[in-house]
Amino acid sequence: MDKKTILSLAAELNFSLSEEEVSNIHTEFDSLINLLGLLEKIDTTNVDPMVYPFEMPLTQMREDKVDHEITQSEALMNANVQKEGYVLVPKVVK
Amino acid sequence: MDKNTSILKLKSIQADTNACVTIIENDVKTHEGLLSDMPIALKDNVITKGILTTGGSKLLSNYIPPYSATIVHKIKQAGGIIVAKTSLDELGMGGTGTASFNGIVRNPHDLKRQAGGSSSGSAVVVAAKAVDYAIGSDTGDSVRKPASFVGVVGTKPTYGRISRYGIIPYASSLDHVGYFTSNVSQAARLCDVLSGHDPLDQTSLPYAPTKTLETLSDDVKGKVFGIFEDVIKAISDEETLKNFERLCSALIERGAILKSISMNEDLLRACLPTYYIIANCEATANHSNLTGVNFGLTQSGENVEDIMTQTRTVGFGTLIRKRFIIGSYGLKDENQEKLFRQAQKVRRVVVEEFTKMLNQCDGLLAPATSSCAPLLEGANTNVLSNTHLIAENYMILSNFSGAPSITVPSLPVNGLPHGVNITCKIEDEATMFNMALAIESCVKELL
Repeated sequence: MDKKTILSLAAELNFSLSEEEVSNIHTEFDSLINLLGLLEKIDTTNVDPMVYPFEMPLTQMREDKVDHEITQSEALMNANVQKEGYVLVPKVVK
Repeated sequence: MDKNTSILKLKSIQADTNACVTIIENDVKTHEGLLSDMPIALKDNVITKGILTTGGSKLLSNYIPPYSATIVHKIKQAGGIIVAKTSLDELGMGGTGTASFNGIVRNPHDLKRQAGGSSSGSAVVVAAKAVDYAIGSDTGDSVRKPASFVGVVGTKPTYGRISRYGIIPYASSLDHVGYFTSNVSQAARLCDVLSGHDPLDQTSLPYAPTKTLETLSDDVKGKVFGIFEDVIKAISDEETLKNFERLCSALIERGAILKSISMNEDLLRACLPTYYIIANCEATANHSNLTGVNFGLTQSGENVEDIMTQTRTVGFGTLIRKRFIIGSYGLKDENQEKLFRQAQKVRRVVVEEFTKMLNQCDGLLAPATSSCAPLLEGANTNVLSNTHLIAENYMILSNFSGAPSITVPSLPVNGLPHGVNITCKIEDEATMFNMALAIESCVKELL
């Protein structure tokens, strides 16, 4: 993975990386590629991806009724800025 | 142990070990039950209403949740008293106890050594005898490895046995709630308290709570202990091997049957990279909600996107951002089939083989780690060696498969704690605790 790709992924993930962090990821990626090479050795022809540890009967559909709620003030208590019951963010259209 | 003694002890070890994020002095018993008056510590990724819950991340270092995890209610209904929120590697992503926003967690048996992770603080508070019960979470081996390093019992029941509602996730297909206790009997007790179906968690098993305490016995006459030969072969530490032989002999004396069981080496060596890809890809998606807009350590910005970028840059540590980069790389269109899907397919092949192994015995036994806890500084790792890929990381097989797994303290190595691990068939916690109790009894005799 080149440094340009690392920076592009960081931008997609909504964070920045220092030059040193980019350099370290770039260097460590070489040994990661060696490790990932062990995956390619395994024959997975006609094998389905495993998404959960084991097949589970999904019979526990709950009733569609409200039985677990928090108040508006509780929902807003961790927001940095709030106004009239909403989370306040910078204007999108100026 | 009473609450006041527990809090005094927690305070006395904090400067040396950094085990806690928050010590809670004002909780009281509200019910009577299996945990009446017992002080309990929670890993700080367990959501607690009105109590700081950081997930070990600077981004959540001001987060006061408006609700509690299901297991918090279960602990309270059983008479438990919450006394601490414990340190963890950021968002549960790390195995050393060195990657939390609040600093390094140290092993109470030797402060120069790792406590292991990610449930570092919970392991430490039990090892230091500040509590008998502490909750952790286990995505790779985050309960069972630190348990070995600090010399306590570390349990991870079957996937879905304990509700994950209100646990800050890492990788949803691998995450389990687990816990630390001072002995096996307490481990069975806590399983009975925490288990049971939870409609708020769609992956919760649809069964009543377990009753393992009622059937707990150290009688293992005729029980088949599978000896995980590949793990033994990957260990070079002579004391670890010698101790394991002594334990095996003691089990045979009790009437247990020992049977060597192996897996294809290429498959075993592929487990750790499979884990890296699945865990990091799932984590990248799971933590996209940490934007700083609705909650968290919000940074200022010119627009919403800018707020998110500034918050995630300041809020996430270097290790986490690196893991997200790897996860995002694995999910890119051009890599998804070759990496993420291939890892999911390898997982199925591995689990099918592992299930065959478990079907040949009542429980699979091996040293939990290749030796005692490594030093915080100066530990060298050959990442392609079998010691690292197999002996140090084979316990992820139980996360891949969802099988119940427990680490029990064994004989000391280099004068420091060391554990063995036993893994049983899915939903068979009762057998797991019985085999673990027999090991605990054997170790007491051998010491």
